Amino acid sequence: MSLHRRAATRRKVVLMAVAAALLLVWVFPLIWAVIVSFKSESDVLAYPPTVFFEPIGRNYEDALFGDFSILDSLATSAIVSVSTTVLTIVLAVPAAYAFARLKLPAKKSIGFYTLATQMVPPVGLVIPYFLILNKVSMLDTYTGMIIVYLTFSLPFAIWLMVSYMEDIPFEMEEAAFLDKATRWQTLWHIIIPQVRGGIAVTVIFVFLNAWNEFLFAVQLGGNTVRPVTVAMYNFVSVEQTLWAKLSAAALIAMLPVVIIGIAAQKQIVKGLTIGAVKGGGRR
Amino acid sequence: MQGRVNREGGVHQGETRFALVLTAPGILVLLVTTTFPLAYLVWSSFQTINLAMPFLDGFAGVQNYVDMWYDARFWHALGLTGIYTVSSVTLQVAIGLGLALMVMQIPAGQWIFRIVAILPIVLAPVVVGLFWRTLMLAPNFGMIDFLVQWLGFEQINWLGAPTPALISVIVIHTWQWTPFAFLVFLASLASLPGDVYEAARIDRANALQRFWHITLPLLRPAIVIVIIMRAMISLHAFAAIFAATGGGPGTASEILNLYAFKTSFVELNFGYGSALAVALLVITMAVSGILFYVRTPRRREASA
Amino acid sequence: MSKGRVNLKGIYKRFGNFVALKHIDLDIKPVEFFALLGPSGSGKTTTLRMLAGLEPPDEGVFAVDGEDVTYAPPGKRDIAMVFQNYALYPHMTVRDNIAFPLKMDKVPAAEIEPAVVRAAERVHIEHLLHRRPGQLSGGQQQRCALARAIVRQPKLFLLDEPLSNLDAQLRLQTRVELKKLQRSLNVTSIYVTHDQEEAMTLADRMAVFLDGEILQVGTPDEVFNRPRTIAVASFIGSPPMNLLPAKLDGRRLVVDGHVTELPFAPDHPGGDVTMGIRPSHVRIDPDGLPTRLYLSENLGESVLLNLYLGEYLVKVRVASFASAGDDETVPISFEPDAIHLFDTTSGLRIRTAQD
Repeated sequence: MSLHRRAATRRKVVLMAVAAALLLVWVFPLIWAVIVSFKSESDVLAYPPTVFFEPIGRNYEDALFGDFSILDSLATSAIVSVSTTVLTIVLAVPAAYAFARLKLPAKKSIGFYTLATQMVPPVGLVIPYFLILNKVSMLDTYTGMIIVYLTFSLPFAIWLMVSYMEDIPFEMEEAAFLDKATRWQTLWHIIIPQVRGGIAVTVIFVFLNAWNEFLFAVQLGGNTVRPVTVAMYNFVSVEQTLWAKLSAAALIAMLPVVIIGIAAQKQIVKGLTIGAVKGGGRR
Repeated sequence: MQGRVNREGGVHQGETRFALVLTAPGILVLLVTTTFPLAYLVWSSFQTINLAMPFLDGFAGVQNYVDMWYDARFWHALGLTGIYTVSSVTLQVAIGLGLALMVMQIPAGQWIFRIVAILPIVLAPVVVGLFWRTLMLAPNFGMIDFLVQWLGFEQINWLGAPTPALISVIVIHTWQWTPFAFLVFLASLASLPGDVYEAARIDRANALQRFWHITLPLLRPAIVIVIIMRAMISLHAFAAIFAATGGGPGTASEILNLYAFKTSFVELNFGYGSALAVALLVITMAVSGILFYVRTPRRREASA
Repeated sequence: MSKGRVNLKGIYKRFGNFVALKHIDLDIKPVEFFALLGPSGSGKTTTLRMLAGLEPPDEGVFAVDGEDVTYAPPGKRDIAMVFQNYALYPHMTVRDNIAFPLKMDKVPAAEIEPAVVRAAERVHIEHLLHRRPGQLSGGQQQRCALARAIVRQPKLFLLDEPLSNLDAQLRLQTRVELKKLQRSLNVTSIYVTHDQEEAMTLADRMAVFLDGEILQVGTPDEVFNRPRTIAVASFIGSPPMNLLPAKLDGRRLVVDGHVTELPFAPDHPGGDVTMGIRPSHVRIDPDGLPTRLYLSENLGESVLLNLYLGEYLVKVRVASFASAGDDETVPISFEPDAIHLFDTTSGLRIRTAQD
């Protein structure tokens, strides 16, 4: 009995060790980035890398207010991401309700169409968008960028919201109808409050995707619309070795999504698994 | 006639019109923002559009596709796409599943793994590519470069030599997205019914048998979905590779996605770039079609 | 008040190839407490949902107070309904749940709160108004659903198995209160249940459903004491009445060679019939038919004997029984004036002097 237990304990310890090692693989690049971001340029270039050094805040100052300020880019990212998110939710939630619940002609085809639009490779959109926006002089404009961002956020949001809408019992609407609510009132007072959780998940995913988007931003943006992802990229291509400042800037740029990620960890996992768990049953 | 009007009565009165009102804005936006550019893409793939030599522009027929057939760089990119997708998806599923099974055995502190796993997922791929390019892989600076030398191996030019560059971009992608698979599997494992395992224990199935005969079949839907979702993302991977290697050195890590991009925006040959993008779209649809076909459990299995 | 008369005429409802309702005719009187009784899948819930407007019929007409509302949307029917799983709005407090129908009906805000409190008081949940449905027990949720239904004066009050999700003891208690409530409401109420005891105790009249058809409409008394068909007879009563093949010759009823002299002259030419007799109307009689005891169940107040008469299982309820062991021979006879007769081919009740 005790032999068994000791073997089990040893197994647990080994497991923990292996798991912890793998854990380290995932956190290390981030921890290292944090460490580097506090190094002076001379400490950065020390090789082998130093672990003990005089931490400085200079890199963050520079990244925010200095020559390499990314404040403008942060603002741009915020404007584009928030606008995209708001527009996406406004368009996706009613559509998802109709798909999940209502009689709609050609529902299957439209549903397949929405799904299929998710399969379009981004490069297959950035090429025509460049040509089109170029023609109508909308390159490097907020409007253009937000329109483009809808291409990936909207189908995804509709798809995600449909699975939340499907979870609402039919009796909710039936009860509301009997209580003399109109269809709009039912949607507004009964349905939407019950998918608040789903809307939150959708908001998080749409926002994260918009904030992190790079391909459209780098090619269809410019000096006016330059989100942080592009600013980061330019940083490296222009300032080859200012890696401490890059780390600081990148960490600032990623701070919003990291905070959202940790705070909304549960919702994100829910969003990730909804397809895997529900998709198994649905054809 | 009256019967038809009646059928729309009762609870369904006005339902279709309401549904149209709700869906129309979204669908219209999708038509304008996705379908129209896509049609434009297909149209431009039959054109010569070269911003460097605009005087040559015009209808090209299937010339771009013929060129593609004889383009060694295209076939090379296609092969790389295959390698990149298959290897990174396999690694993600294998490591993610292994880690999930491991973490399930850990009695406390699972939340730490969940938090850590979220971090790579929420980072911008371009930032991930930059971090790896600099902090991890840069010669005489990056941690991995340092570790390799410290362990007594010869220094490897990770991003500057063809094979290491390809390995690097696969590792980077795997690093960023394995947590996705891990979290999905962890959630699926947690939702498996415990009594099945108790029954299996009573039936004297050992750990390996339990995994093979119970866990794996029950996890199958989750595994297949993860494969589908990850394959789509791998096929369309861009920012991390672009930031880390730019497809280089030469064309060593240039998957089809990057080739289409570079053809259009570096060489300014938009006609041919469009054709390459169309090829990628067709491949994506074929792959997803196959995967969705695999996903649907067939009758034969159900009755067997 | 003469409002709340309900007429159903020739209702058909199909779901694909499945015919859920076959020619349903019903006439429900104002202020009546009317039960739709039947096993699951018999069409009773579909009928209720049609009345509510949630499931339009394929054929037929449905009228309230003479007004055709067959295809009127639910909100235009002035109907309140209590759902089987209550369908409380989970994101609203009890107060908001109960107030919702009034708000939708554009009742002035000042009148809403007193009405909500009044409705809550009637079902004794006035102390729970600030809670959400998730924080209520099953019984409290059920009351909340009731309060939401009675907060306005509907023309029709529909209840879909409202007691089925409650545990046994609570169900009995709520049943009594429900009856009281319905009487005080003065509203036509239609009640779906698969539980005949509920239907018997609650309803003024009831309709017995089977396979999408109405087998019988009548007061609980009529349905229990004069089942119209073999199907009704074999459904009503717990346990239902025994049904045995018999031969009728004038007033002589022969069951397995045993003759019972009927006290009335049946309206039937004679021959093969089906005899029905409730378990409590079978006697142990030394001169009776010999049966084999299969099992005796002690129910406390009485003993239920399971006897085999040849291949037929006969249930007999007696006050007490001292068993000599299984397979014992128990002789039985039937109380002549409690015998029901059915035509074996048509399944219809044979009229007797009692009817």
